[in-house]
Amino acid sequence: MNTAIQVANLSYRYHDGTEALRGVSFSVQQGECVAVLGPNGSGKSTLLLHLNGLLPEKLGWNGAVGILGQPVTPDNIDTVRRQVGLVFQDPDDQLFCPSVGEDVAFGPQQLGLSEAEVNARVQKALAQAGLTGFARRATHHLSHGEKRRACLAGVLACEPTVLVLDEPTSDLDPRGRREFKALLRRIPATKVIATHDLELVVELSSRAIVLDRGAVVAEGPVTELLNNEELMLAHGLERPHILRHSHPHGEDT
Amino acid sequence: MIGDWIGHHHSHRDSLVARLPAGLKLGLALVIIVGTVLAPPQAMGWFLGVALLLLVAVVLSRIPLLFLLKRLAWLSPLVLGVALVNALQPAARGSWLTVAARSAICLLTIILVSNTTPFSRILRVLKSARVPGLLITTLALMHRYLFVLVEEAERMRRARASRTFTPRRGARWQTLSTVVGQLFVRASERAERIYDAMCARGWK
Amino acid sequence: MHIPDGFIDGKTAATTALLSAAGVGLALRQVRRRLAPRRVPLLGLAAAFLFAAQMVNFPVAGGTSGHLLGGVLAAALLGPSAAIVVLTTVLIVQCFLFADGGVLALGANIFNMAIVGVAGGYTIYRGVCRALPGTRGQVAAVAFAGWCSTVLASISCAGQLAWSGTVAWPAGFTAMALVHMLIGIGEGLIGALVFLAIQRTRPDLTGESNGSAPSRRWGEWVGYGLLAVLGIAVFVAPFACPWPDGLESVAAKLGFDHRAVHLRVPAPAPDYQMPGVRWAAGATALAGAAGTVVVFGLALLLARWLVREPGVDPRLTRP
Repeated sequence: MNTAIQVANLSYRYHDGTEALRGVSFSVQQGECVAVLGPNGSGKSTLLLHLNGLLPEKLGWNGAVGILGQPVTPDNIDTVRRQVGLVFQDPDDQLFCPSVGEDVAFGPQQLGLSEAEVNARVQKALAQAGLTGFARRATHHLSHGEKRRACLAGVLACEPTVLVLDEPTSDLDPRGRREFKALLRRIPATKVIATHDLELVVELSSRAIVLDRGAVVAEGPVTELLNNEELMLAHGLERPHILRHSHPHGEDT
Repeated sequence: MIGDWIGHHHSHRDSLVARLPAGLKLGLALVIIVGTVLAPPQAMGWFLGVALLLLVAVVLSRIPLLFLLKRLAWLSPLVLGVALVNALQPAARGSWLTVAARSAICLLTIILVSNTTPFSRILRVLKSARVPGLLITTLALMHRYLFVLVEEAERMRRARASRTFTPRRGARWQTLSTVVGQLFVRASERAERIYDAMCARGWK
Repeated sequence: MHIPDGFIDGKTAATTALLSAAGVGLALRQVRRRLAPRRVPLLGLAAAFLFAAQMVNFPVAGGTSGHLLGGVLAAALLGPSAAIVVLTTVLIVQCFLFADGGVLALGANIFNMAIVGVAGGYTIYRGVCRALPGTRGQVAAVAFAGWCSTVLASISCAGQLAWSGTVAWPAGFTAMALVHMLIGIGEGLIGALVFLAIQRTRPDLTGESNGSAPSRRWGEWVGYGLLAVLGIAVFVAPFACPWPDGLESVAAKLGFDHRAVHLRVPAPAPDYQMPGVRWAAGATALAGAAGTVVVFGLALLLARWLVREPGVDPRLTRP
């Protein structure tokens, strides 16, 4: 089976009654990189939280979300969380351990691996994230870019098949952006990225979904969608400059 | 003020003392503190011996002297208070000088340990001393998010202050209590997101 | 009110450490049983919040400023058991990271601020809330209970200092109680203002949000209350009891050697004593009693001023 993620008619309401998601349906094939676009408040983060069962709070059996062919239910939630790695929007929320090494080790430890295996995974994940030697660094002493990479390392250490990222490049300076983009490019997992960074979308993803007020308003190949200036403007986005000119710094820096 | 008060940056300075194992330092500190508190006022030998040991440790730890002196000076109002009250009605346990000496020694000991030992190591020692896991987790999370919240509070206060033009005290109190209230709300929401982040990586 | 090492002696440190361990152990057990797993990180974050909040300067006059200790606020927001754990965490970090409060004195500090302050304060808070429903009642309760908890904690502290022989009871009690009756006003006022600020943006956080019915929680804090009362009995009663001779004769009649109970209570030097100090202690006690009534009235006025309409009883709107 080639479908990594299958979302069918997903709806969700907040406690105060506002509709966050309205009948969202889409699918992601294995190995793809799909971008989730939309203005602020469109429900991107809420959708992402459904992809590893953090929402709804009371996980039911309706199976609106399927991961690797299996619906997400209370029975297989552990497996799902192993398969889907979620990188949160605010790195301070995710880096809850005092040192980078401890934080990256958290996931493997929860998996019940031996100390040797945990160490091996930590080293590998740190290397993948370009943070070799950072194991002993205190989390609150890191720069913003380093924090984001540490979050990525923490998720990579769990060796997920699917990587879901919520606004991974926001607040990064241009160099941090380029470095992070290069990192993501090297990771072979299936990727779903919610972002405002339209240049990132063009450079990394093949397909995109546009959300507005909780519903999917458009879906399709990236260039086609993003070149549709009318569509972009109608939903709080715009046509990125990268599609108008060539990037001054080339592909990888 | 915050950077100075939170002498945390000192704990990452490398020195002979910093390299000693945390358990040893804490154990020694406990011995010194218990001994100093229990020693009768006449035990000059103990006081002098410990003071000497601490002096050596201070030199070896490379902690700035000014920082230490400033920190010790914080004891003075309390000692003064004791002295004053004892002048009105003497206490049985020896003069305020003894109190001052004891508290200075104990304070110096704990400053030395806290500034040469990362807090996570201290937590590990506490954990092996059978302190309940829930308390350890809470301590760890508090330590991790302490600076995050303090900075958040500072940013909010500054943002509010830049839009406050009346010097009235009432307005200050209103501003500050709103900031503190918001801080709790944000802390509460962040706690939920942290829970989600923990669950996302398999926590039970 | 953080007692540094050297101000209390060995027996006081040991006794308070035991009492605190019991109290905190009880609190942890309650929290493990009652707190939803979702809220576990909130304990740590609330502790960080209290610490950050304690650093905020509320300007008073000249260079002085008021600060929040937050025991009653924490109890109102999280419940008494969680509040005890949170306060304990704050005190431990303050001790080990900032050398604020001694290591041996940690037991005393936890007992005074986390147990007496929270148990006493929360009892009063719940009492006032029952008497005065609605947001106004809650605000008045936080203000009044905040003041009370500060004063109670300071009295307990004075008792420990006296039992250690550092400071004789009458003078110590007078100084501590008077000062903290003043400081307590700040605590009550700031606590009430912050509580209201939270209630305005997130009323769900200020309701009885722990999910357990109020009546069930009486059992919890009866345990703490007993602990607090026991501690105060040990530290304060020997000094504050106006009829020590009467107590001794009763003890003798019961065949109970009072010396065993009092251990090494140091007798204040009987020959030299500033005249009027004992009088001052008595007067302080009276002032305290009168002050309690006055502060309660002030708390009601404050709540009336801050909360325009009485508001709905939050217990009625609980989901």
